Formats: sequence, C-alpha cells, structure tokens
Amino acid sequence: MLDTRYRVEIPGGIKLEAQVVGPIPRFFALAIDLTIRGVLFFLLSLAMIPFAALGAAELGGGLYLILLFLMEWFYPVLFEVLWRGQTPGKRVLGISVINDDLTPVTLGPSLVRNLLRVIDFLPLMYLAGLVCMLSNRRFQRLGDLAAGTLVISVRETAKPAAIENIEPLAPSTALLRSEQTSIIDFLHRSRQLSEPRQHELAAILDGVTHEPSENGVDKLHRIGAWFLGVR
Amino acid sequence: MNLDKIQVNACLRSGWQAIDLGFLMARAWYRPLFLAGAIPALICFVPLLILFLEDPFWAGFCAWWLKPFFERVPLYVASRKLFEDEPSYGDILARARRLFTFDMLPLLLWRRLSVQRAFNAPVSVLEELKGSARAKRLRVLHGKYSDVAMSNQFVCFCFEMIFTIGLVLMFLFFTPERFFIEVYDSYDELTLAGEWIYTLAALIAMTLIMPFHSMAGFSLYLNRRIELEAWDIEINFRSLANRKQRAGGLAAWPLALGLALCLGLGAPAGVDAATTHDRESARELIEEVLRGADYGQQKTVSKWRFKEWEDEDEGDETIPEWLIEFIEWLLRNGNWSDGAGNLALWLKFMLIAVFVLLAIYLLKRYQGPLGSLVRRERRQAAPEVLFGLEVTPESLPEDVTAEVRRLWLDQAYREAIGLLYRASLSRLIDRHELAFRDSHTEAECAALVSERGIESLSTFFDELTRVWRRLAYGHQLPPGEVIDDLCRGWQRELSDAVD
Repeated sequence: MLDTRYRVEIPGGIKLEAQVVGPIPRFFALAIDLTIRGVLFFLLSLAMIPFAALGAAELGGGLYLILLFLMEWFYPVLFEVLWRGQTPGKRVLGISVINDDLTPVTLGPSLVRNLLRVIDFLPLMYLAGLVCMLSNRRFQRLGDLAAGTLVISVRETAKPAAIENIEPLAPSTALLRSEQTSIIDFLHRSRQLSEPRQHELAAILDGVTHEPSENGVDKLHRIGAWFLGVR
Repeated sequence: MNLDKIQVNACLRSGWQAIDLGFLMARAWYRPLFLAGAIPALICFVPLLILFLEDPFWAGFCAWWLKPFFERVPLYVASRKLFEDEPSYGDILARARRLFTFDMLPLLLWRRLSVQRAFNAPVSVLEELKGSARAKRLRVLHGKYSDVAMSNQFVCFCFEMIFTIGLVLMFLFFTPERFFIEVYDSYDELTLAGEWIYTLAALIAMTLIMPFHSMAGFSLYLNRRIELEAWDIEINFRSLANRKQRAGGLAAWPLALGLALCLGLGAPAGVDAATTHDRESARELIEEVLRGADYGQQKTVSKWRFKEWEDEDEGDETIPEWLIEFIEWLLRNGNWSDGAGNLALWLKFMLIAVFVLLAIYLLKRYQGPLGSLVRRERRQAAPEVLFGLEVTPESLPEDVTAEVRRLWLDQAYREAIGLLYRASLSRLIDRHELAFRDSHTEAECAALVSERGIESLSTFFDELTRVWRRLAYGHQLPPGEVIDDLCRGWQRELSDAVD
C-alpha cells in the first residue's frame, strides 16, 4: 500500500511514525533559505563599508570572504543542529531533518548531508539530488542517504472542534482501537460530509448499531462522544 | 470503484502530503505511466519536428502547448491502477477516442494556461463533466488546495527547466572533443544545432516529469474526495461490519465454552474471589507498597548546567563599540602596507597547524591501516590474559628457564609448565606479532604458530602445547627429561639470546 508514512520500531515494540516529505515542499524551503542567505550576504557587504572607510578595504574583503565561506557551508548545519532539524525555510514549510531512526539530527549527520550538497547540486540546481529523491521511496537525496537522515513533516494537525450537546452512549459491542478511531473521525468530520453521505456511511454499520440509517448517524455520534470520554 | 482494493493509504492528509503521495504513486507506477504519456507524445513530436526542421523551437513550443493532450491516458491508467485494475492495451485503445476528445478544445485554447491543470484534469477525464457542471464541481473541490495545486504546477515547471538545462550540459560534457558541436555562435546566439539540442532536451524533460506532475494533481484531487466523502471512514466501517458479521456466526461457541469453563473450573474462581480486597483494605495495601523501598525514594542529584542567558536589548543599531575598537586596534598595530599581509599569513599558518593537529588526532582516534603509522602499541590488539594466564612481558621473571627448573625441582609442576607456556605466548605475541585473541583455544594458538612456517618454532610450540594440555586438563605429569628438552627449545627459539 502506497503511503508517505515512515515507520520505525524501537525496542519494546513501540512503533514510531513520521510522514516523509517530497521534493516540492523541500524546493520551497530551499528557495526561502537561499533568499535569506542572499539578504545576509547583502547586509554583510554593507557591514564592510566601515572597513573601507577606515582604509582597510583589503582586510574587510578578506573577512568578508571568510564569513561568506562559513555561511555558505555551515548555515544549514548550524540551524539543523540547534533548531531541531529546521532551517528557517524548513520551519516555514513545517518540515524537519531527522535521523532515519527518528532521533534528532546531530552534528555528524548534519555535516555529512550538508557537505554533500555539492554532489547533489551537480550538474546544476540540484539535478542529481532531484533524480535521487524521485527514485527513492523516502525522498532522500544523496546527502541524506550518506548521512542516514530523512526530511519529515512536523506540522501539527488542526485540533478538532469541541463536542457539544451530545448525549454519550456506551457501545453495545467491543470495538478495536482502529474502529473506535474511525467512529470518532466520523463524529468530527460529519460537518464536512453531505447529509446523504452521512446516512450512507451509517448504513454500513446497520448490523452493529441495530438502527435504521436515520437514527444511525445520531447513534454513531453518541458512541463517538463516549469514546472521546464524554460521560 | 471498489474502495477495498484501493492501493494507497486513504487517510486525511495536508495538501503538501497529498502531493508527496502523488510523487510516490508516480514512482511506483512510473513505467506504465511514462509509456502511456510518451507514446502519444512521440507520435506527435516526430511530425512536428519534421515540419519545423529549420525552426525546432516552434516544434517544441507546439509540443508543449499540446501537453494536456498527453496527460490524459496516464491519468486514466492511474485511475484504474489505483483500484488494483490493470488496464489492457485494448481497454486503452477502446477508450482513447473519448479520452483524447472529451472537452479538449477549451483545454487547448483558453484553459491551456490554467495553473491548476493537473488538479482539475480528473474532473474532465474521470468524472466527465464539462461546462457549468464542471465549474460547479471545481468550486466544491478547490477549497483550500488551490495554492498547493499552483505550487505543483510551478515547481514541476522548474523541475522541467532544471532537467532540460542539466541534460544539455551533460550532453556537452560527455561529447568527445572531436565531435564538438557549436551550440553558440560567435555572436553568442544559439546555432541551429544548439536549438535542436535544447528542444530535444526540453521534450525529453517534459515527458520525464509529466507522470509526477499529473500524479501530484491526481493525488490532490483524491485527497479532496477522501475528505469530502470520508473514504477512510467507509473503509474502516466496512471492515468493522465484516468483522462483526464473521464474529456473529461464531458467537455461540465462545458462549458455550465460557459456560463450561465457569462450571468446570469453579474452584479456582473461588480462590480468586478470596484474594480480592474491598476498597479500604486495598487502599491500605497500596499505601504500604508505596512506602516500601521501591517507591518513595528521594535522591539528590547535582550537576552543572548553564545559567539562563539574559537577552540584551536589540534595539541598538549603531556599529557595536567592540567592532570599532577591534578595527582601530588592527590599524594601530601594524604597518598596513604589509601588516595585513602578515596578519593573514599568521592566520594561514594557524589554520594549517590546526588542520595538521586535527589530522593527527583523527588518525589516532580512528586507527585504520594508517593509524598504525602514528601509534604502534602492542596492547591494542593483543590480549593480556589467555586461558587465565597472564601473558604480559612484565609478569615474567628475568630468567625464565632458571625459574622453570627451580619450580620443577620444588615439585610445583603445574606452575613450572604454566610459566614456560605463558612465557612462550608472551614472546610469540611480542616478537612474532601473532594476533592471538582471547577467544582462541590452545590448539588454535598452536595452529596460528605453525601458519608462520618456522619449522623448529612450531615443533617446539606444538610439543609445549601438548605437554601443557595434558598437565593442565589431564593432570598427567611429563617425565623430567621432557622439561629439559622444552627449556632448551625455549632458549633456542624464544629467549633473548637469539636476537
């Protein structure tokens, strides 16, 4: 089954999940980071004016080049290590770099993945990286593969609206966890569904709710409220 | 549409995640989707290129304009594959006329520049709506996903550009020099050959990216329908209903079984009941447990950590004082005609020194084959204890054979042979650099020694090993002359006098 989900099972049988992120959001994140770096370079060149004014243009130029080098190579590393795997661009897009065992990215992997940008950039504008991402199930570019890192989505999902005025009802039969979740989903998302569609869905569970579909919707809502802890 | 067979995990996603899923779909079904798009495209490209032989850019432009035309069949194929249904060539051919003509004219005229084409396409191709019905449907579908759909269009366009220029560059890089093709003439304008190369590259790039672009749009459309029609809920409800139906048929069995258990195993149930507690006694029991050693412990842990840094006001926009002072200091301390050069030179030497130190550190840290050049110590690989015998040189007496003979005469036979044996091991490790590991047995050590191919040494060591094993494990004393032989052998083969 095709899914963007990435799963890791940690000792103790606990499964961790994350959604991997593809080339399009990462393209925008990169574009934002490039813009920020461009602005920084511009400000840096303004900061060199005092040097020129004091007659030390060569010194200024040297410092400028050193800073330029550091910023070009270590801007992503700095942010990824200190800012939970996010550069400013990634933060805007709600994505983040993480080790492929879903632990936070550390200095080593971050250095590797960012130094290998040179390879991913070849022959121009990240063509190699793009091809690698498109041929990889987890959208890893070469740097990611070498460092063992992933880019995942960290955007929080919107909180569902609060439940009001629903009399909770205990289900008459035992339900699996996934089934409980889908009944809760039904309660939360009913507002987005058309009336006939709600009845159609409730009708599937005729045999479980023992109600004709008109009352079935209400009954499912009440069971959903029960699962949400309303008493 | 049989939702039970759906090939993607139908769950609610954000627009971006839906696009990512689309890329995965394109990746999984790339071959059929690519062929479904590339075959009609090729049929179209060839006449166009022949038509515009002198002006390939126009051919490329026309092909690009006809792109919606080529996206139809892949979308149809994907919609079938989504529900685990492989369309045959016959199916596609039978359907082709409708696919290529349905609502095509507006798509090729005023809707060609729509920025959400891939997202809208399924409404025309799969739902077959047009005119006002289509507009109404699109209004329902678009919702919050318009900007994501536009991003898809924009980024895929950028990807096409990157691919095009990348392909041209790769072609030029890897063309041998004698086949050199002039892409630009002396006025820096594209030659005809250059135009051809760029056009072909663009067409290839377009065909390569097409499946990703249309699948991203298709996935976005699917996501919206999953949201509006709650496909995921339907799938879960159906499996729930199926489970209950299956369980219903078997319901009588657990009931009967449960009854039998209650009747037959009444006694244990009674015992269980006796050990249950009422509320009061249970609380006392809990508190007693909590007071015990496993809970309620207090532990004081102290460690160092940074104090909270106080943020300074960042309203100050002038050049910081220290920077001015630093620059002034630099200016004061040096004749700038060569002073800056000196400073830079120092900086350079410092950097070089840092790198050299770093390199040495890394070599030491990760001793590979190179690391042994820097650091050559015996203890690194060799064990200090083998079969419970100390084998470090320090643990040996000055004159081994004299000590052995003394011990032998004192009737400390085990100690005597043991000393000789471990002295041999120690010398073998030191002088012959044999890589004994603490997992080796005596026989394996002997085998390692004979691998060295020194006949006399291995004969001696084999004999010593045999004697030692017999004594150590079998408690069989060797005759006295054997000891003399071994001591002579040791002096011959392993004592310091040999060197």
